[in-house]
Amino acid sequence: METFLFWFCGAAMVLGGLMTVVQRSAVVSAVWLIFAFVAAAGIFALLHAPFVAILQVLVYAGAIMVLFLFVIMMLQGPVLEGERRRMKPALWPAVAIPPLAVLVLVGTRIADHGTAAFTTPLPAGFGSPTHVAELLLGRYLLAFELISIALLVAIIGALAIGKEERKLPWK
Amino acid sequence: MEVTMTHYLVLAALLFLTGMTGFIVRRNAIVMLMCVELMLAATNIVFAVFARAHADGGGHVFILMNFAIAAAEAAIGLAILVEIYRRRRTVNVDDLKALME
Repeated sequence: METFLFWFCGAAMVLGGLMTVVQRSAVVSAVWLIFAFVAAAGIFALLHAPFVAILQVLVYAGAIMVLFLFVIMMLQGPVLEGERRRMKPALWPAVAIPPLAVLVLVGTRIADHGTAAFTTPLPAGFGSPTHVAELLLGRYLLAFELISIALLVAIIGALAIGKEERKLPWK
Repeated sequence: MEVTMTHYLVLAALLFLTGMTGFIVRRNAIVMLMCVELMLAATNIVFAVFARAHADGGGHVFILMNFAIAAAEAAIGLAILVEIYRRRRTVNVDDLKALME
């Protein structure tokens, strides 16, 4: 069952990623990206991270992608003029060679060393909200507080960029 | 065939490479930002794989950190794009080369 779910979610996610890149309309790209993120939530669930899986749907597929769709629909029509043009054939190798090189490296590595299985047994309740919260407010409290400051700075920055310049408080 | 750690890592690598290629190929700045999100999602999967491999929840905590960073990046990136669109009436990166010329 795990095998089937892995291949199902993995294929869905790769398909979503590819369609995001290939589709010319930004709106269609965004919808495919939501598809990929929902599939990623399935992968997280398979990796015994149920809390992260739910947050992936809520935060990523929900909040962040709604922000993207909102901006796309506010700004422009579906397809940009520049994306109708084909890429110059001379540039194709420059785009294709780095990913292919990485894939060949990974393939040879797997051929030489085989695959690595999960060996460590998991404690009960691994990845549950309680478990993650205990870590977040215990061992990683400093990181948690720092990321909240980073978010605050991001909010202020986004507001400052979006506002008209002469109305900024320090002008 | 049983699903191993390697399967998950290869899946994450594929997604990261897809996002990377998209970032290079696409000319629409909003789609380029979405490709960055795709790369961040791929790194999240790697975090989850190693949290599972070491039975350590620290990976899950840092996935949450990554969510916050992705949200901040999307908010600021889109604010900048809206401002650019207001001034230049385009988000095509080929037309935004004032610093290049």
